[in-house]
Amino acid sequence: MTTPTPNPTTEVYAHLDAHTGYIVLNRPDKRNALTPAMLDLALAHLHTLLTPPPTGQPACRAIILCGQGAVFCAGFDMQLVHNDPATLPALLTGLSKLVRALRRAPLPVIIAAHGGAVAGGCALLGGGDIIVTDRDAKLGYPVLKLGISPAVTIPALRQALTDGQTRERVLDTDLITGQHAYDLGLAHVCCDIREDVLPAAQRIAKNLANKPPHALAATKQLLNHLEGTDADEPFDRALAASFSLAGSPDQRARVAALWN
Amino acid sequence: MSLATLHITGPLATITLNRPDSRNALSPDLLASLHARIDELADRCTPKPERTDSGPHVCILTGAGRAFCAGMDLKAVLGDPDTARSLLLSLAEFTYKLRQLPCVTVAVVNGPAIGGGCGLVAVCDLALTYTDNKMGFPEVDMGVCPAVVAPWLVRKIGPGRARQVLLTGGLLSGLQAHALGIVTTCVPTPADLPAAAETLTTRLAAGSPHALRATKNLLNDLDGSTDWPLLEAAANLSANVLNCPESQAMLRSKLEPSARQ
Repeated sequence: MTTPTPNPTTEVYAHLDAHTGYIVLNRPDKRNALTPAMLDLALAHLHTLLTPPPTGQPACRAIILCGQGAVFCAGFDMQLVHNDPATLPALLTGLSKLVRALRRAPLPVIIAAHGGAVAGGCALLGGGDIIVTDRDAKLGYPVLKLGISPAVTIPALRQALTDGQTRERVLDTDLITGQHAYDLGLAHVCCDIREDVLPAAQRIAKNLANKPPHALAATKQLLNHLEGTDADEPFDRALAASFSLAGSPDQRARVAALWN
Repeated sequence: MSLATLHITGPLATITLNRPDSRNALSPDLLASLHARIDELADRCTPKPERTDSGPHVCILTGAGRAFCAGMDLKAVLGDPDTARSLLLSLAEFTYKLRQLPCVTVAVVNGPAIGGGCGLVAVCDLALTYTDNKMGFPEVDMGVCPAVVAPWLVRKIGPGRARQVLLTGGLLSGLQAHALGIVTTCVPTPADLPAAAETLTTRLAAGSPHALRATKNLLNDLDGSTDWPLLEAAANLSANVLNCPESQAMLRSKLEPSARQ
């Protein structure tokens, strides 16, 4: 494995610091709005971090997914979706693949969801084992207004919440605060201010990276199996449900209305 | 006037239980009316070539008068095992139809919601009530089994909390129901309900009907809501318990105390 080094010119970069791997969303001027290329890059960085290093090099034992700028991730780049309808299916597919890969990674994944995790950004939380946010962050799924179904997120979301809470969160387009997300169990740690989120995630990662990796890997694998999230079927069904509306006249009109 | 009414305005439908003198208790006639209304609504939501719109995609369920729904009209079926069984099956089928509706369903719990009445709240996607309302599942206290409502409550609040609530029986306040997750919004007083319901339903109505229906279908697929055989079996279990001598005796003593004298 080539140890990834930070490259602030790319929209997603990765690096390894001792045993903690970082996957960093790096499009702060667009609130880390996701493009298909960013999702593909994040997945590639994950595979790199999971590849055993040459002898003598530190192995990655915990991963932090985080974002530069004011918020973790504002969701899909809707300007791209408006300009090219083929973008939405690519985004949905990339998101589904990345969440599954993170959830099945044989080491703990901590997500530093500071400031906001909205729509596709909130769906990314499904890939995390431990979610850190801040009290005033904004989280949720406003996408029904755009003719997009948040179905793609449901298989992972219903592991964090009861089915009743999942139903409410995906059908009601209102955003909730980080405090509320913490109260529901969608976030596991709630910091007072957004600037504390990454340091908190780093402390958790460091603590977990010191634990026996094989034990963590086996436990995570069992949890996935008990949930059924090691199977592709629910994720494929959810992706298909969101897919079925991508590019529909209703969806395209609603997205176009954002710019009218 | 019908025992259940349906009113449609644009994207919003409202089904109202309309038996206020009996606190909207679920009798065979009221359930028959509810079935007729929900079948009309489901038909209205079905795409047809001659229709230019997709029909309502938000549905309020509420009660006329001071109660939302006092539950099964057990007095009406006391000593009549066949009617009891058919009533329970009818309720089970109504909850199933309510869940499959291609609408976001919102229970506006305007007053007490007891037993099967609270079950209707649990079936709905979202629910609002007020702090001092009375809600809950006192079936075990009456000597009967809350089998028809149990799958919906488990799906709503999780198996652990459902276990606690159904085995404990008794009643909850609106505030407690909110804390448990049985309702999603709790306002201070009954007078606050209409405005809160309007704010919520206006927001829901702004969503795309197609996206909403795809989302709801997946939610139903994943959480077992499409399992009719389970509900049918639950209704029959409930009827078996209701019709047993021990339950009949207990119900008689609670519903007809004067008969003992």
